[in-house]
Amino acid sequence: MAFFLETLLGGLMSGMLYSLVALGFVLIFKASGVFNFAQGAMVLFAALSMARFSEWIPQWLGIDNLFMANVLAFAVSILVMFAVAWLVERLVLRHLVNQEGATLLMATLGIAYVLDGVGQTVFGSGIYKIDVGMPKEPVMMLESVFEGGILINKEDFVAAFISALLVVALSIFFQKTSTGRALRAVADDHQAAQSIGIPLNRIWVIVWCVAGITALVAGVIWGSKLGAQFSLSTVALRALPVVILGGLTSVPGAIIGGLIIGVGEKLSEVYLGPYVGGGIEIWFAYMLALVFLLFRPQGLFGEKIIDRV
Amino acid sequence: MSGRKIGEVILDLKNISLSFGGVKALQNISFDVREHEIRAIIGPNGAGKSSMLNVINGVYRPQEGDIILRGVHHANMDSYGAAKAGLARTFQNIALFKGMSVLDNIMTGRNLKMKANMLQQAIWFGVAQREELAHRLKVEEIIDFLEIQHIRKTPVGRLPYGLQKRVDLARALAMEPQILLLDEPMAGMNVEEKQDMCRFILDVNDQFGTTVVLIEHDMGVVMDISDRVVVLDYGKKIGDGTPDEVRANPDVISAYLGASH
Ligand SMILES: Nc1ncnc2c1ncn2[C@@H]1O[C@H](COP(=O)(O)OP(=O)(O)O)[C@@H](O)[C@H]1O
Ligand SMILES: [Mg+2]
Repeated sequence: MAFFLETLLGGLMSGMLYSLVALGFVLIFKASGVFNFAQGAMVLFAALSMARFSEWIPQWLGIDNLFMANVLAFAVSILVMFAVAWLVERLVLRHLVNQEGATLLMATLGIAYVLDGVGQTVFGSGIYKIDVGMPKEPVMMLESVFEGGILINKEDFVAAFISALLVVALSIFFQKTSTGRALRAVADDHQAAQSIGIPLNRIWVIVWCVAGITALVAGVIWGSKLGAQFSLSTVALRALPVVILGGLTSVPGAIIGGLIIGVGEKLSEVYLGPYVGGGIEIWFAYMLALVFLLFRPQGLFGEKIIDRV
Repeated sequence: MSGRKIGEVILDLKNISLSFGGVKALQNISFDVREHEIRAIIGPNGAGKSSMLNVINGVYRPQEGDIILRGVHHANMDSYGAAKAGLARTFQNIALFKGMSVLDNIMTGRNLKMKANMLQQAIWFGVAQREELAHRLKVEEIIDFLEIQHIRKTPVGRLPYGLQKRVDLARALAMEPQILLLDEPMAGMNVEEKQDMCRFILDVNDQFGTTVVLIEHDMGVVMDISDRVVVLDYGKKIGDGTPDEVRANPDVISAYLGASH
């Protein structure tokens, strides 16, 4: 029982990160109908930026303080992701208004390749360290309830906490501010939103900026665990099945979908892994999403798709 | 109609032609709209009325023609630009934001008037909040004006059709437009709802001096409230003038008798 709980908690905590990345994904889809295949590349790009700037900035400025270096690198990386958002809107989206979903999807594939390419050219193609002082040692919890307690990875806990905080902050932003209201309006009806004076282009830049921030936070967390390296973009792509599971247009769906996949991965790894061989966590999310799609094509919380006539 | 005074030409449409593939929705249409007037566009189904309105607020771009708004040529207007230029509209198939409450829907109409930037909103204090409150007051005035206080918090998707049309009007009014474009604001309403809507349109025009361009299917209503009427049929203009002139126009009579309504 204690072991099961331990696995479950581990899954919930890693799932929170998927939720965060999926949230960025859903926001872009809601606001612009773009299925953003570049989300994984954005995570990698952000992680590389964080890793390299935290290395370069102390050299440039001659400071010898890890904390300051991290703060500055994080701030610069936010600006980098905002610049990416702005460029994507300027150079790509703006010219593809009213195009088919498939065209937009292909365009984001292109963006993904460009980000990968530019990222490697500018930041290098090695494995870089991100050291933001995440606690590494595990802790025991609930020792009074279970014999021996359950083992919690402190790093996962902090990561999950930060992700949850960001998810909550973003939800509040979109529910309570006029920008959030404008975004919901655009998500609901492009044409009407424009006609009442909501600029689509600006909303697109905003959602790509938000997706950039989620990518950066996820990139820093994953990067500090695995190192900032090329494989991060595939880790982040596991947010795709999350989105399918949760429903492309649903914010709560993204959050719950992330948790389900996080838990599913961990449980299957532990309980099924021994029978089907290792590596199950790599394909489990996709399989779960596929099976799910057969029964509920619109996802857990997605709206049923009814064509407008 | 009371003390309002019809002014100069505020919107001038010149030789507008619009086609969709082979369908010629509008063929060389010209007419003008004067400040403070209620200008109606009528005609049978498929005549091109909605297309005309969509051209005016930049949803459709005509292949030919010129739109002159307060003396300024607007060759490349999109609907955001139209909103900035003081045009507001309602839609034939109500285009409210279904997931949001009545209040939120109307608040979106204030978007152009809001100044607080993202950062201020993100932090949520001071400027942004004060601004939100000021706009909220304006919106409450409109809510009172259109007598929809009781549904303020209701999600619009749950409202009956007639009330949705009223909220659509409220959202447009929240923009404080100089020109209001209404696409069949009374379609699908019962007699009482139609009377209410007529009264609101006349009051908006009278109290705020808003210029109104109105599409209506129902001849009777149009003749009662409009100053001048354009008649379209199969994408062509077949009449233009005061309600009495239009009523006496033989082309108009035959178009309406020819069509099955
Ligand atoms: N977006 C569009 N695509 C193709 N055809 C259209 C479009 N909008 C209008 N039309 C066509 O243009 C003609 C005029 O339509 P519309 O302006 O909606 O007429 P009305 O509002 O007078 O009923 C119709 O034949 C209609 O099918
Ligand atoms: Mg129409």
